[in-house]
Amino acid sequence: MDIRFNGKAIPIQEGDTVASALYRAGQRIFTRSFKYHRPRGLLCCSGHCPNCLMNVDGIPNVRTCITPARAGMAVKHQNARPSLDFDYLAIAQQFDWMMPVGWYYKNFTNPRMWHLAEAQIRKVAGLGDPPPPDAPEAVYEHAHMQAGVAVIGAGPAGLNAAREAASQGERVVVVDDQPRTTPGDSSYTLLSRSYCFGLYEGNLLGVLQSEPHSGARERLVHIRAKRIVVATGAYEAPLTFKNNDLPGIMLSTAVWRLIHRHGIQPGTSAVIISNETGDSAIAAELRNVGIAVVATVPPSDVLEATGSKHVTGLRTRRGAFACDLVVMCGHRIPDAGLLSQAGAKLEWSAEAGAFVPTELPPNITAVGDVAHALVRAASTLVSMPNKRTFVCFCNDVTSQDICDSVAEGFDHIELLKRYTTTTMGPCQGRMCQLQAIGICARETGRAIQETGVTTSRPPNPGVTLGALGGARHHPIRRTPMHYQHEELGAVWMDMGDWKRPRYYKSAQTERESILREYHAVRQAVGVIDVSTLGKLSLKGRDSGKLLDKVYTNRFSDLKPGRVRYAVLCDEAGIILDDGTISRPLADARGYNTGDPGGTRSVAPSVSAGTIDDFFITTTTGNLDFVEQWLEWWLAGAGWDVQINNLTSALAAVNLAGPKAREVLSALTSCGLSNAEFPYMACRNAEVAGVPALLMRIGFVGETGWEIHYPAESGEHLWSALMDAGRPFGICPFGVEAQRLLRLEKRHVIVGVDTDALTSPYEAGMAWVVKHDKADFIGKFALGKLESAQAQQSLVGFTMNANQIPEDGAAILVNGALAGRVTSARYSPAVEKAIGLAWVTAGAAAEGAQIEIRVAGAPVRATVTQRVFYDPDGARLRM
Amino acid sequence: MSFLLACPECGERSAYEFRFGGEVKSRPQQGDSEEAWFQYIYTKTNEAGEQEEWWFHRNGCRKWFQALRDTRTNTVIATWYPE
Repeated sequence: MDIRFNGKAIPIQEGDTVASALYRAGQRIFTRSFKYHRPRGLLCCSGHCPNCLMNVDGIPNVRTCITPARAGMAVKHQNARPSLDFDYLAIAQQFDWMMPVGWYYKNFTNPRMWHLAEAQIRKVAGLGDPPPPDAPEAVYEHAHMQAGVAVIGAGPAGLNAAREAASQGERVVVVDDQPRTTPGDSSYTLLSRSYCFGLYEGNLLGVLQSEPHSGARERLVHIRAKRIVVATGAYEAPLTFKNNDLPGIMLSTAVWRLIHRHGIQPGTSAVIISNETGDSAIAAELRNVGIAVVATVPPSDVLEATGSKHVTGLRTRRGAFACDLVVMCGHRIPDAGLLSQAGAKLEWSAEAGAFVPTELPPNITAVGDVAHALVRAASTLVSMPNKRTFVCFCNDVTSQDICDSVAEGFDHIELLKRYTTTTMGPCQGRMCQLQAIGICARETGRAIQETGVTTSRPPNPGVTLGALGGARHHPIRRTPMHYQHEELGAVWMDMGDWKRPRYYKSAQTERESILREYHAVRQAVGVIDVSTLGKLSLKGRDSGKLLDKVYTNRFSDLKPGRVRYAVLCDEAGIILDDGTISRPLADARGYNTGDPGGTRSVAPSVSAGTIDDFFITTTTGNLDFVEQWLEWWLAGAGWDVQINNLTSALAAVNLAGPKAREVLSALTSCGLSNAEFPYMACRNAEVAGVPALLMRIGFVGETGWEIHYPAESGEHLWSALMDAGRPFGICPFGVEAQRLLRLEKRHVIVGVDTDALTSPYEAGMAWVVKHDKADFIGKFALGKLESAQAQQSLVGFTMNANQIPEDGAAILVNGALAGRVTSARYSPAVEKAIGLAWVTAGAAAEGAQIEIRVAGAPVRATVTQRVFYDPDGARLRM
Repeated sequence: MSFLLACPECGERSAYEFRFGGEVKSRPQQGDSEEAWFQYIYTKTNEAGEQEEWWFHRNGCRKWFQALRDTRTNTVIATWYPE
């Protein structure tokens, strides 16, 4: 049983943490410090300080002192070159005069210099490296829990509170950051190796659980509790004296843990720094395991520690002592961060020598040491300025740095924190906050209470990004005909959650495949799956009234059996969405089936049989928004409208091309002649035996029908169309061919050719705004915009030379920026590249010459207001 | 932003389930002054205190309702359907 440390086998024992196994094997230097690369060894042994951070199984900054050792773990050191024992970057200490706090702000005022220096500084400073992109992916998960009472901390006080609450019938969850050591109590749920990193509004606790099961590295548990008991206890913070960071100088709690938890003798001769007079408890512990206690000295007498890579002695006012262990009986500080996040006040208690929580919010209680700070004869709080006295172990901030920063004017504790980065490292202030406050208070001549404490914010301690991200869930929506597209060789694209065929691979190149689809639609017949369109049915007496109010054009007068183009604007006159609205014709039995899926029931429902039904299509991406927008304008209006989202219930295809009528007539008895089924009409009819709503509309510019029908018949109707179309050369087409076809018709795609500032006037769609309506959303703003001179307009263009600009390419007029391209493609009909673009008003005239940047160089193009293909729409009405 | 909101239909739920719909404003009449429309379209009170707001229960009943919320503490004082 062993772990690998930098490739070397290290034996492990039952109950070992990674750090205890390494320590037992003789490792004394665990890390090199952030800035000066000073050797650092075990300090707290309880997961608070930064001294034992290592890379474990590819994950950086793992607190090895609380990570159970598991056979086969790969452990590596961080931030030291070439090794922890010999790190040539320790030379940085010799240049400390060059690198006071904020030295890069002061030295790299020239941005070019900073860019050069930054990369180098990043290399030598820091806390480990992120896993490489090709590293095996760890599994993270999220879970949610509800609790009557959540207890943070499974010490005696926490467990007492848990048992008491459980005995009153509460559902209790206990969260503890240590591995489970005692057998569980079935009256509550214990999450061990879990730390609470944040207490949020509504009594929400963020808890990070390590290895909840063998299949996951971490689990983020959201616990919503009616009542929270904080029993986080108190932790010990280090004392400050010169060279207080040498390996071998440990907190008394760390020594206790090494002895009792791991059966390790952490030295042979020890000096204890403590204010307690007489024989302290820790001295007895040391002697019990055979460590000689050389001396016990009060903190005020300590001058400096000596040694280079490990402590070899302590110089004090009472003389110098040789030793290989210095035990610091440090300040006991209530771990009150969560209480502070909950809104409790932290008040200085001179008696306790610590900030203690007061004024707890309702439903939050504190028990144990966190509530009543352990009174340990407060040691001398503050050290004098020294460049080797470390206050902040995480970021290598010394007492000298803090004094200098106060002298520079950063004398407010919050400013001091941000300038020196003290309390901002992995320990989040646990090791350094009290010292920083103490020095700040002394240097400014203020009291400690007045100096105050910096704000605790979650997450504290830090949380891996993987845990916050959680499991990889990428919802995918597939249309009912998805697998048919796959068989036809679809090349997929993502559109929101939907998978749509971009094109079908039918030729050697993408371009040839797309052109083949294009020519089929223009010359014969093509079919595209448009099931992703948003589909809403509106029923009720006031449906027309609602549509008149929210859409810019009028729908209450739409005759049954007709379809109208619809544009939705907000109150500022900005286009939100577009689509079609149809008013299905009542069928032969006098019923209006409303939505085409309605006939699926054995008999059409009578309640659907009114003339007030409408069927709306929205763009694929805006369905949710449009549905909520309509519901919002209905809220509280008292109107009789029921909105039904039929998007997933219906499949839809668009059959288009000069042969579309011939194909469709083979599958339906519905009259399809221009007289029976004119352009912009809609009919309910059966197609291939499937009840459907047919609309004669023409996004791609050819005679065609959009057919909406029940999703469960999705594959059947598609197959029927393909079979019926085979003699006519039917070709399925994808989004890319559709975009080219519509571009030749200058049909705008909302969100592609329009943006968050586009009104119908600038987009050349003034005709969709019906100002003769008494009121509608956007009427006031659109009235203003109608008479205002548009700053820019959406125009078409043709390229003078044979180059295709990219979507978004810049437009220049006389060398000055004058707009951008929104869509551009090579048009077989025009035999040139064409596109749509926003240009300034001055460049919008017919025939105006503009330049478009293609591959870095300007290329000439000509503006046109004309439709590129079939400008009169004759082909739509054939 | 993890406070609880009582949906009039579904009861108390995490705010994550809802979509915020902005302050409740009264819409001017056509013919009202340009100033009134300007205020309605472009400005927000952004009250530091109790504010009436629209909320939509996106992951629940999918209904719009109104709430009185103290924006300083995220305490939701009342929720109701608009009349």
